[in-house]
Amino acid sequence: MLGNKNKVSSVSTDMMTKQRRYEALVKALHADIFRYAVWLIKDRAIAEDVVQETFLRAWKSLDSLQDETAAKSWLITILRRENARRFERKQFDLVDIDDVSVADPVAPSDGNIENRDLRRAIALLSEEYREPLVMQVIMGFSGDEIAEQLNLNKNTVMTRLFRARSQIKEIMTKDKEFGAQSNG
Amino acid sequence: MDDLNFRRTIYADPYTKDPEILEAAKSDPKKQAFWDEVRMMEASLEQAMNVPVPEGLADKLILRQSMDDFQQQKKRRPWYLALAASVFLASILSVSLLMQGPTDLKSDVYAHMSHMSYELNKSGKVDLAMVNDKLATYNGQVNEGIGEIVSANYCYLDSIKSLHLIIKGKDGLASLFVMPSEISKTIDDDFSNDVYTGSAFLLESAKIIIVGETSAQVEELKAKAKTLLSFSI
Repeated sequence: MLGNKNKVSSVSTDMMTKQRRYEALVKALHADIFRYAVWLIKDRAIAEDVVQETFLRAWKSLDSLQDETAAKSWLITILRRENARRFERKQFDLVDIDDVSVADPVAPSDGNIENRDLRRAIALLSEEYREPLVMQVIMGFSGDEIAEQLNLNKNTVMTRLFRARSQIKEIMTKDKEFGAQSNG
Repeated sequence: MDDLNFRRTIYADPYTKDPEILEAAKSDPKKQAFWDEVRMMEASLEQAMNVPVPEGLADKLILRQSMDDFQQQKKRRPWYLALAASVFLASILSVSLLMQGPTDLKSDVYAHMSHMSYELNKSGKVDLAMVNDKLATYNGQVNEGIGEIVSANYCYLDSIKSLHLIIKGKDGLASLFVMPSEISKTIDDDFSNDVYTGSAFLLESAKIIIVGETSAQVEELKAKAKTLLSFSI
């Protein structure tokens, strides 16, 4: 009887610990995870849905996260899986976001023209270049971590990162030239 | 380190700590300038990528989890448990309903008979007026001549309030139970067990059950009851 009571209270303590762990995880990482999702999906509303699904899954399998320092890559793995699931689910009624004219799908305008142009340039990158770049810039992943996450070798990752920045630079330079021409 | 290699490495990782890169930058101001430029662009890139997060997203994520957890807990109480409980309850109810009936009334009568000695000791002398008082509950009346009434007490037969009269006849004590006919349960007209024998009949608005040790006793009291007891409807 006494043993039983102890068991029950230890279960509820576990639940409380789990709850606290989860809340800490949400508070520490939800912003980065959301931003990552926005850049992966290029649509804020869908990104928010996918983030919700991601954290719900994270809660359900929180016990499998042994090391809190691995939380970021753990969440990114879940998010990428959830995003892939979205494509399986909506295979038939999926609308390609590139075909939809949304004023600013990744961020509401903040009046900063450089931000706006850069965001457009990042969004124009193909996913294979954009995703490792976002992992590096937002999540702070090293080349090795990105390689592991994307199941690529490190050299490929470094090449893609180089090309991603080159392309952004190119797009921005073209923009400037075009702007100068039309102004002149 | 050649320019192209330097640029590739810086573009792939603007914050690289590669000692070769650091060395190359230190020894070549052009390279250092390029690196500074890339770092500036990187800062802008970071700023651009730092898109605003929806307000209250963290709270939403926590709330969603608690709601889901609540739903899960509700689901964790399986439906078949509820079904099993319902079936169990229903079977208990029906069994207890089926158990009731004529047999129950009869066994109640026998039970009262075996406690007759207790009934006898409970009350002192009983006169006819007292008995008529109690019979009034059933709109009944008894006339002189039924025999010496040694006990008149209310009792419950199959949870119906009844009047139990113990009457001394020629061959000893016999019992006469009175209960309202409309609510009395059916009981065989004649019944008996190893010790007692009994007879039940309707008398106007009352059901009368007479029980004794011999059928002679029962018949004697039955005949008397039919003539001396009356119940107005």
